[in-house]
Amino acid sequence: MISLGGAEPKPRWSLRLTAAATVAVLVTGVLVDKLAQLQVTDGSRLAALAQANTIHRVVLEADRGIIYDRHGSPLVENSPVWSLAVTPAGLLSEPMDRAQELIELARISGVAEEKLAAQLFAADPFESVIVKTNLTQAAELAINERLPELPGASIVQRSVRNYRDPLVFGHVVGYVGPIDPAEQKRLEGLGYQPDEMVGKVGVEAGLESSLRGSDGWADVEVDARGRVTRTLAIQPPVPGHALYLSLDAALQKATAASLAAGLVRDQKTAGASVVIDPRTGEVLAMVSIPGYDTNLFTHGISQAAYNRLLNDPDRPLLNRAIAGQYAPGSTFKMVTATAGLQEGKITAQTLLSCPPYINVSGWIYHNWASYSLGQMNVAKALATSCDTFFYQVASMVGDVTLARYARAFGFGQAQAIEMPGVAAGLVPDHIWKQIHCGVPDLNSDECRWSEGDTITFGIGQSYLLTTPLNQAVYVATLANGGHLLRPTLVHEVRDANGHVLPKQAEVAANVPASADTIQAVREGMREEINPPYHMNYWFRASGVPSDGGGKTGTAQWGGSGLDLPTHAWFVFFAPYSQSEISLSVFVERGELSEVEAAPIGVDIMKFYRNNVGTIRSA
Amino acid sequence: MIARIDRLQVLLVVMLAALGVMAVFSAHADWVRQVVWVLLGGAVYVAATFHDFRRLRALAPALYAGMLLMLIAVHLIGHTALGARRWLSVAGFPLEPSELSKLALVIVLAAYLSRTERMSWRVFAGALALFAAPAGLVLTQPDLGTTLVLVAVTFGVLFLAGARPAQLASLVAGGALALPLLPYFLRGYQRRRLEIFLDPSQDPLGAGYNLLQARIAVGSGGLFGRGWLHGLQGQLGFVPERATDFVFATFAEEFGLLGSLVLLTLFGTLLIRALRSATLSPDRFGELLAGGTFVMVFVQVVENVGMNIGLLPIAGIPLPLIS
Repeated sequence: MISLGGAEPKPRWSLRLTAAATVAVLVTGVLVDKLAQLQVTDGSRLAALAQANTIHRVVLEADRGIIYDRHGSPLVENSPVWSLAVTPAGLLSEPMDRAQELIELARISGVAEEKLAAQLFAADPFESVIVKTNLTQAAELAINERLPELPGASIVQRSVRNYRDPLVFGHVVGYVGPIDPAEQKRLEGLGYQPDEMVGKVGVEAGLESSLRGSDGWADVEVDARGRVTRTLAIQPPVPGHALYLSLDAALQKATAASLAAGLVRDQKTAGASVVIDPRTGEVLAMVSIPGYDTNLFTHGISQAAYNRLLNDPDRPLLNRAIAGQYAPGSTFKMVTATAGLQEGKITAQTLLSCPPYINVSGWIYHNWASYSLGQMNVAKALATSCDTFFYQVASMVGDVTLARYARAFGFGQAQAIEMPGVAAGLVPDHIWKQIHCGVPDLNSDECRWSEGDTITFGIGQSYLLTTPLNQAVYVATLANGGHLLRPTLVHEVRDANGHVLPKQAEVAANVPASADTIQAVREGMREEINPPYHMNYWFRASGVPSDGGGKTGTAQWGGSGLDLPTHAWFVFFAPYSQSEISLSVFVERGELSEVEAAPIGVDIMKFYRNNVGTIRSA
Repeated sequence: MIARIDRLQVLLVVMLAALGVMAVFSAHADWVRQVVWVLLGGAVYVAATFHDFRRLRALAPALYAGMLLMLIAVHLIGHTALGARRWLSVAGFPLEPSELSKLALVIVLAAYLSRTERMSWRVFAGALALFAAPAGLVLTQPDLGTTLVLVAVTFGVLFLAGARPAQLASLVAGGALALPLLPYFLRGYQRRRLEIFLDPSQDPLGAGYNLLQARIAVGSGGLFGRGWLHGLQGQLGFVPERATDFVFATFAEEFGLLGSLVLLTLFGTLLIRALRSATLSPDRFGELLAGGTFVMVFVQVVENVGMNIGLLPIAGIPLPLIS
C-alpha cells in the first residue's frame, strides 16, 4: 500500500470521490445480498448438495450362501470376478489429458472408445460406472498396475456363482442371473441392487431369501476424484445361510449315470429319476436328462447359446423331474387297488378275471396280453399288471372316488418342494372334463365323461398326468405305510454363525386307507419283482436282493387308440419292511418299461446298497 | 515518517493477509510460499513508507517502460498455463507481469494526469494511449480478466481526475462498440466460460462445474460456516482452483456468511481508508494515486467475489491480499 502523508490536513471529499465511495458501497451491498441469498436462503439446499457430493452410501454385498450336498460337499462356490469401474468426475480434468486417459482405458478394457465415452457421459459424474465386467485375471492385474496413472478408474471385485458338475446337479441347484425388468420393482422393494444377481431356477430361486443374506453398507466420504477419504459409518453384511441339500452327491451322480446309460442303451434322449427317503421325504437324488451348463448363465449367456438351448428338441431347460407331466400308466394301479380295497369293492382275496379285453357299451378295451390270464386276486393283478382287472375295479369305484384316492397319494398337487416351476400333474373326473372340454354344449361327446374314461383312469391313462417327483412321493407313501410326505431338498440350513435352523414338519397327510389295504397293495409290488415274474431277472443279473416292491408302467400318450407312442416308468421302494428308499424312473418315449425303465432303477438300487454306509452316515 | 502511516490501514492489511494464509492453508496449497509473499509485500510496504511517494512520480516513465518490456518478454519467452502465456521465470520465481501492470498503470496515469488541472481531449487521448499499449499486450496473452481491470482502472482514474461527461460517455460508447469484437480475442475456453456463466447446468462436469461447485461450497457454509479446515467441498477438492481463483468459495464454506461479511467489511474499510487518504492528499498526484489504487483493489474484489458466488463470469482474477 502507498501511504499518504501530510500534516493533519482536513479531508477534502470532492464530488467525484464521494460518488466513487457511494458506488463502492452500493456494489458491496449487491454482493452481500447475493451472499446472504446463497448462504441463508439456499444454504440448507446447497449444503445437502455438498453432502451428496461427498458422502456416498456404498453397498457391501453379502456373500451368497454356499449350497452343499447332505455331507457338506460343495455344489457351488463363489468365485471372484473383476470389473473395471470409472467415476467420470475422477478422470483427468484437462480435455486433452482426459481424452488420452479415455483412449488408454478403452485400450486396456477392450471396450470401444466411443461406447466408453457415451457410457460415461450419460452417467452421474460422481457415481462409479461399471464399464467392463468379467475381466480376465491377466487384464485385472494389468489394469491394477496402471491404476495410479488412471485417476477415476478402479477395479471392483464381485463374486460369481461357479457351479460344480452342472450337468448332474444343475436342474436341482439352478442358477442365478440378472433381475428381470418385470421383477425389478418388487425386488428393489426388498433392498436388491439393480445389478444384483438373483436365483432364477432350482433351489437358487426356491431358497433365494435364505441364500441371499443381507447386504451391509458403509457411508464413506469421497473426494472429487472419487477416492474414499474416510469411512463414517459401517453396517457389515450378513452372509446368506449355508444350505445342506438332502441330495447325496455320490448317489446323485450314480443316478444320473444309471439313467444316462439306460437311455443310451435304448437310444432314448430324455428321462428323469427321483430318489427319496420314505421316512423323511428328503430327496436323495433328483436327475433330469438332458441337463445343461448352468455356469453359462452366471457369466452372461450369449443369445446364440441360449437359442440353442431353447430350440433343442430334447428341451434341456425343462426339469422333467418336477415339471414334466406324463400319464403314469400302470404305475397308477396301486391307487386303483387301494380305492377298491378301502371302499369295500374288493378284498385282498377277491378273484376277478383277466380277459384279453372287455367291452364297455360297444367299445373294446384291451389288456396288454392277447390271451386270458385267468382268475386272480389284487396282488397278482398288480404283479402281472392286468389291465382288464383294474378296468373292472375302476368301474366299481367310480371316477370321483378314484380321483379322491389319487389326490390322497399326492397326484394332481404341486409338491411344496424348494424350487419354482413344480408342476401339479392332473387328476381328472367328470366335472373336470365338463369344465375343460372347451365346447359350449356340455352334453356333447367332448364334455361327457364316459365309462371308458373311468376304466382307463383306473390304469393310469385317461387324462391323468403326473411328474417323476409326484411318482416318487406316491411310492414313498406306499413304502412307509400310508404317510404322504412333503418332499424336501433341504437336509439342514445353517446361518452365518453355523447354527442349525429349524425345519418344518414332514408329514403332510395320511392316505385314508387301513394298514391291511396298504399291505395288500405292497404285496402286489413285492410279487412283481420276485419269481416267477420276469422283472426279477434284473435283480439277479445285478446281484441286488429283490427285497422291496416295484411297479412298471408303459403309458400311452398323444391321444387314444392303438399303437400310440409311450413313456416308460418304474417305481420302486426297498427294503420291503422298514423301507428307507423309494424311487421313480421315467424314460421319455420309452417303449417297454420292464426292459427300459426297470433296469435303471435296479442299477440305482445297486449303487445305494453298495454305498449305504456312506450315504447314510451323518 | 512513521507518524504519517495510517495505522488502521496497516492493521486491516495484516488481518486480511492473515485470513489469506489461513484460507490458503485450508486449501492444501503451499501456505509457506504464501507467508513468504506476504512478508515480501510487507517489506516493500515498509520500504515504501520510508520514501516520499512523490518520488514515484519521477519514476513513472521508467516504470512504464519496464512494464511494457516485461509484457513483451512474456509474449516471447513466457510460460504457458491454461492455453495462455502469462508467466515469466525470474530467478526461479514465477512472475506474472500482468499483475504488476495494474499497479504500474495506476502510477503512470496518476503521474500523467496530475500534470494538468483541466482535462482537454488531448490529455484524454494521451491517457488512453498510455492505457492501450499494456492493455493490448495483456489482452493478447490472452488475459481478459486483467484487461478488464486495466479498463476499469483507467476509467476510474479518468473519472477521479475530472474527465468531462462527454469524455466518459465516449469511453462507454467505445466499450459498447468493442464488445462485439470480444469473441475474436477470446480463446475457446474463455468463450465457453461466458456461455456456461449464462447456463451453468449446460455442462456440470466441465466449465460449468467450477461455477456450480463454487456456489455449492459458498451456500453450504450457511450462516456460521463449517469451521476452519472442515469444509467438505473445499477440503475434498470439489472446489476447483481452491487456493487461487476460488479461494473465496473455500473461505465462505468454512466461515459462513458471518466470516464472509467480516472479510468484506475489512476490504470495505480498507477501500474507504484509501479514498480518505485521497481526500487528505496534499497534491493531485497523491489523490489520483490513492483513487486509482482504490479502483484497482475494488474492481478485483468485486469481480473475484462476484464470480465465486455466480454473480459475474469467471475471469481468473485473484482476490487481492488473499490469493
